[in-house]
Amino acid sequence: MNRLGKFAYLTAVYLFFYFPIAVLIVYSFNNSQYSLIWHGFTFSWYQQLFADTDLQLVAVHSLLVGVLAATFATVLGTLTAVSLYRYQFYGRKLLHSLIFILIVSPDIVMGISLLILFSTLKITLGFWTLLLSHITFCMPFVSVTVYSRIIGLDKNIFEAAKDLGATDFTIFTRVIIPLLWPAILVGWLLSFTLSLDDVIISFFVTGPDFNILPLQIYSMVRLGVKPEVNALCSVMFGLTLLIVLASQLALRKKQ
Amino acid sequence: MKKFLLFFILYSIFLSVSVQAGEIVNVYNWSNYMPDDVIQQFEKETGINVNYTTYDSNETMYAKLKADPDAGYDVVVPSTYFIDRMRQQNMLQKLDKTKLPNFKNLNPDLLNKSYDLHNNYSIPYLWGTSAIVINDKYFAKGAVTSWADLWNSRLRDQLLLLDDTREVFSMALIVLGYSANDTNPDHIKQAYEKLKQILPNVKLFNDEAVQNIYIDEDVTIGMGWTGDIFQANQENSHVQYVYPKEGFVISMDNLAIPVGAQHVENAYKFINFLLRPDVAAKISMEIGYASPNLAALKLMPAEILHNQIIYPDSVTLRRGQFQTDVGSTDRIYEKYLELLKMGA
Repeated sequence: MNRLGKFAYLTAVYLFFYFPIAVLIVYSFNNSQYSLIWHGFTFSWYQQLFADTDLQLVAVHSLLVGVLAATFATVLGTLTAVSLYRYQFYGRKLLHSLIFILIVSPDIVMGISLLILFSTLKITLGFWTLLLSHITFCMPFVSVTVYSRIIGLDKNIFEAAKDLGATDFTIFTRVIIPLLWPAILVGWLLSFTLSLDDVIISFFVTGPDFNILPLQIYSMVRLGVKPEVNALCSVMFGLTLLIVLASQLALRKKQ
Repeated sequence: MKKFLLFFILYSIFLSVSVQAGEIVNVYNWSNYMPDDVIQQFEKETGINVNYTTYDSNETMYAKLKADPDAGYDVVVPSTYFIDRMRQQNMLQKLDKTKLPNFKNLNPDLLNKSYDLHNNYSIPYLWGTSAIVINDKYFAKGAVTSWADLWNSRLRDQLLLLDDTREVFSMALIVLGYSANDTNPDHIKQAYEKLKQILPNVKLFNDEAVQNIYIDEDVTIGMGWTGDIFQANQENSHVQYVYPKEGFVISMDNLAIPVGAQHVENAYKFINFLLRPDVAAKISMEIGYASPNLAALKLMPAEILHNQIIYPDSVTLRRGQFQTDVGSTDRIYEKYLELLKMGA
């Protein structure tokens, strides 16, 4: 009985998580433009999707910003976490709490303040402003993820490394990075996802020559959901699944 | 992995450089409102690159332009009442019509309206109406001919009203015999009282996925916009469009050039291209809204021209009213809509 109860509970939880996605994927094969009633199976929405060069360009834009923002945010965030943990400097506590403030501050506040900053500095909105903004809002998440891992490490390891004559740089590259590798990867994935689905901040800071997927999907969905959007979301879901699997494999190899 | 990243970085640099180099025009339009091949055709013919981005409502576009006037959009497509507002707030450029030789193709009946008296700031792009939608499987033809019929107590819990402040109040104002653009607070209050009476009949307020609700017959009577109902009618021919006796609202979306545009010459070329008969005909037929372009109408098949959903006859059309900006009265409308929804 107990086992049955556990099984039922877990099934309910997973259903709650994945049922909406399953419905979305099923409807991407529905042979009807607007109707939400099943009209038969078709691949035509996928064909349309792959013929839509405009949407493809927008998708490439999103991936580009996602990869670059996640990479820069991971580098900066990891360095921040390590220096917060290893070094004593003036304003360290303040910096630590400022990171949390960035995490909890609403997107709309961040979007508007970035926009005001860019227009005061007379920077043309577009790819660069978007990238800078995405790095900004991703970085705190990386810092926090990496920091929570680093405080679990044994401090004696660093002392030992020092005793054996390692410089700070060597300790960083040969001891800290390998130990933190899973957290860094998680931080990267987290940033990539955040960047890939951000609507609010991106709305304010992107320019006319650089449209990204979440904004495009948002305006498409508001004026009637076409199955083409479902197809697109299904492809993105598949892609995410692949990335997660690949990272799991990479982690397993390391361990 | 390193090579992959390097490629991305190089690509991004290449991208930002190439955008600077070529001729471009930045277009900001409603989503699903221009066929892809029209844009590709323009790029092929002129060599000008189109950066095409989309929005979901006039408010979104307005907010973006207001927040950053130098954002660099060269062509935008506001509805009539937003043309009115943006023109008054000096957000649009005065147009030089000598650069738009195809302007002559436009239907004079749709020009020089109150929202922009001499079309100095706006060029009609597509137009449509909002009227009554019924499913003829459930309602006999002629059973519903006026907005007032929707107040009938037999329709309890059946109506779909558009979730759009101006559209809902226009309906009530028209029933009361006032203008759809009324700014008299007393009249708006009366309209609110009138709308309170229709609430028991309302099943839902919606403005996003109207097509599938009517196609799947989740709702069989209510309000709708031309384009949505045209598309719904294609999939479910029982969905019919009725122009109410008392009158109805005509909405038109217009091409305009914002003050901060940086590629003005290309913007003119783009607008002039859209006014070309073959292009205008293609856009109108694919999107399902009516074309204001007379020369384009001549290129369209008769079954579209005689489709009453898109092209009401001229007698019907005379009952239509264009939407104009109501200025600060907007707030009164919003206040009453909130009250109305709280009562719902």
